[in-house]
Amino acid sequence: MVYEANPKCYITCSVLNNCFFDKGKVLLAKYKKSGSLVAIKHFNLEDFTQDQYDMIIDEIVFMRQLKHPNILPCLTSYVLNVDLFVISPLMGYTSCHDLIATHFQDGLSEVLISIFLRDILRALQYIHSKGFIHRAIKARHILVSTDGRACLSGLRYMYPISKCKMNDKVYNFPLNASHNLNWLSPELLEQNSDGYNEKSDIYSVGVTACELANGIVPFAETSTTLMLTEKVRGVVPQLIDCTTWYLYEDGQSQKEELTSSNETIENGNQKTISRRFSDSFHRFVALCSNRNVSMRPLPKQLLNHSFFKSIRRLNVNLSELLLPAVPFTETNTAELREDLATIDNVFHNFNNMSVFTEEWDF
Amino acid sequence: MPLFGKSQKSPAEVVKALKDALTALERGDKKSDKAQEDVSKNLLLIKNMLYGNSDSEPQTDIVVAQVAQEFYNSNLLYSLICNLNKIDFEGKKDVAQVFNNILRRQIGTRSPTVEYICTKPEILFTLMGGYELQEIALNCGSMLRECARYEALAKIMLNSEDFFNFFRYVEVSTFDIASDAFSTFKELLTRHKIICSEFLEQNYEKVFQHYQRLLNSENYVTRRQSLKLLGELLLDRHNFTVMTRYISNPDNLKLMMNMLKEKSRNIQFEAFHVFKVFVANPNKPKPILDILLRNQEKLVDFLSRFHTDRSEDEQFNDEKAYLIKQIKELKPIPSSSSTMGASSSATSSHSSTTTTYFGSNAVSKTSGSASVVVSSNTSTTLADSSIDASNSITSSSVNVTNNVMSDSSVTSTRNTFS
Repeated sequence: MVYEANPKCYITCSVLNNCFFDKGKVLLAKYKKSGSLVAIKHFNLEDFTQDQYDMIIDEIVFMRQLKHPNILPCLTSYVLNVDLFVISPLMGYTSCHDLIATHFQDGLSEVLISIFLRDILRALQYIHSKGFIHRAIKARHILVSTDGRACLSGLRYMYPISKCKMNDKVYNFPLNASHNLNWLSPELLEQNSDGYNEKSDIYSVGVTACELANGIVPFAETSTTLMLTEKVRGVVPQLIDCTTWYLYEDGQSQKEELTSSNETIENGNQKTISRRFSDSFHRFVALCSNRNVSMRPLPKQLLNHSFFKSIRRLNVNLSELLLPAVPFTETNTAELREDLATIDNVFHNFNNMSVFTEEWDF
Repeated sequence: MPLFGKSQKSPAEVVKALKDALTALERGDKKSDKAQEDVSKNLLLIKNMLYGNSDSEPQTDIVVAQVAQEFYNSNLLYSLICNLNKIDFEGKKDVAQVFNNILRRQIGTRSPTVEYICTKPEILFTLMGGYELQEIALNCGSMLRECARYEALAKIMLNSEDFFNFFRYVEVSTFDIASDAFSTFKELLTRHKIICSEFLEQNYEKVFQHYQRLLNSENYVTRRQSLKLLGELLLDRHNFTVMTRYISNPDNLKLMMNMLKEKSRNIQFEAFHVFKVFVANPNKPKPILDILLRNQEKLVDFLSRFHTDRSEDEQFNDEKAYLIKQIKELKPIPSSSSTMGASSSATSSHSSTTTTYFGSNAVSKTSGSASVVVSSNTSTTLADSSIDASNSITSSSVNVTNNVMSDSSVTSTRNTFS
């Protein structure tokens, strides 16, 4: 179906989230002609610097020029006054980052992670085959559709791999990437003359796997400089479960002292400490986050890893696994029928109260 | 890919297979699904010959030369582009990659493909027409920009009647396509200085008549981009003749003075860079001088408040100071009756509505939409008077809601044009 580049064809329903350093908003909307739900990214171009503007254009072009079931497409885009609107299909469960924030503070279950990461590796395999590095794999950029398919977004950080076979390294450091540093590979962060290649993305997959499982990104409480030196020294991100939690004991006890009366944190710790991830999951993470780039496998090889073998054996019902999270669907989404400007104003006022980031439950 | 890696087909065979499949696809009979598949398969084979893939290195120069020669002989570039919208999604991108690779081919200092395309300009015209079709617009765009790097090809495109279609393409409603068209448009107008300035001089009337529409576009992005490009074109020393002509026309000055006060700060800023050329011109024609003189005080006042927060931008501040000095020192030419006209138009402007006061389309349109942002404007009014002075001028509704502003800076910064 062709989506028209006409603002009159869309009815805004609510505001889902912020994006692009909070300079943009993600709106939930309905396409009038078909009634299908779409996500609209809304940017005020007046606020953008030239390189941010270029990044947005790049992202739309990449979304248009890459077609894969696990990559978030751009259906159309249009300008109204000083605002740019980019239309994508709605991902009913929003991003993995939001899922963790709202319902899974201690992380997602291993089965879910394996299903999502398999999808993401497929997307990566495609992106690499088209000659690009993604450079921004993280839970925030993994969106989950209503039928449980994981889609990769954040394509604005993509960069072409040199076509020349003699030297397929990349030296460019991503612009405006301060939000992504924790996920980036040591060789990319080092910015030395060795450069980096598409395997940098695999390292990010490893960090993201830990983020999804632990509910918090590795190095989250580390300063940027320390994070860099630790990564370069070869400190690898870890899954936290009963086999590894003692490694974090120091950190945990400090945290408990700080928030001694906070029961939920202690309960959370208890749950984290008693759970156990499979050996294949631990091996998968270790493989992805190997400091030695040549030892790091490519997406194609990783897809054959035993971590993903279990998906076939289990007959999983994704929507049950994702409970209590419920996706946005055509039936549970109300039409606000107010124009975008009104919603934006409301959103500005309540920006910090996260009123609209809550799920609708009808 | 091992499936294709085994293929030992010669370039001639692959190109022939592609040609046959394309002919079948063009006919569009029952077998067109199969034909589409064959086209994509053979395109991928050719692409891998030229670029190599994960399993193989790119082929030697001899093979590349053979592929190129077969392409010329069978007129395949043209048929690929003509049938681009029938080729599948990945195939379209492969066409662009193959095209760009063959185009870049060099023998010593010669570019044989460029020479070939010069004899077949319909390839370029078909590519330019590609912007009409959403599905192939971006693919054609990438090929066009590759072509525009070569002076001979850029010249053909600039001097074709089809070039003026770009004025339409850059304004289509789909943002990514409009934006792609604009970068091709800009490339064509700026890349090869000599032929660009020749083109602009010879077609001055027509180009700027069309360009005026972009500057007055309803689309903010079009307005902002075209204004920025205008500044770049006028300030390029190769375009001196064009610049002189442009800054002699009082209508152009009026437009820029209006744009200086648009509510978008980015547009104000770009307009400044065109406006400064009018003021810096040492030989101002009388109509230009008259307008500047009539607004002498207002302009000085306006510019002293203009984007005062850009304190770190030294060049901008120097230029602004220079303009203020220039405008202050302007002297009227004796025996002029312009003072009478100015005073009468000034009085009438206060009583008339914004729409009739500003003749230009662009301004009346923005003032219409300005009512939407009134609430946010008024909140920042006192914080930054320079922005808001210009905001409120374009919007009569702001004047109504905010009496303080209309009393002080608004009336004083209004520019009067006869």
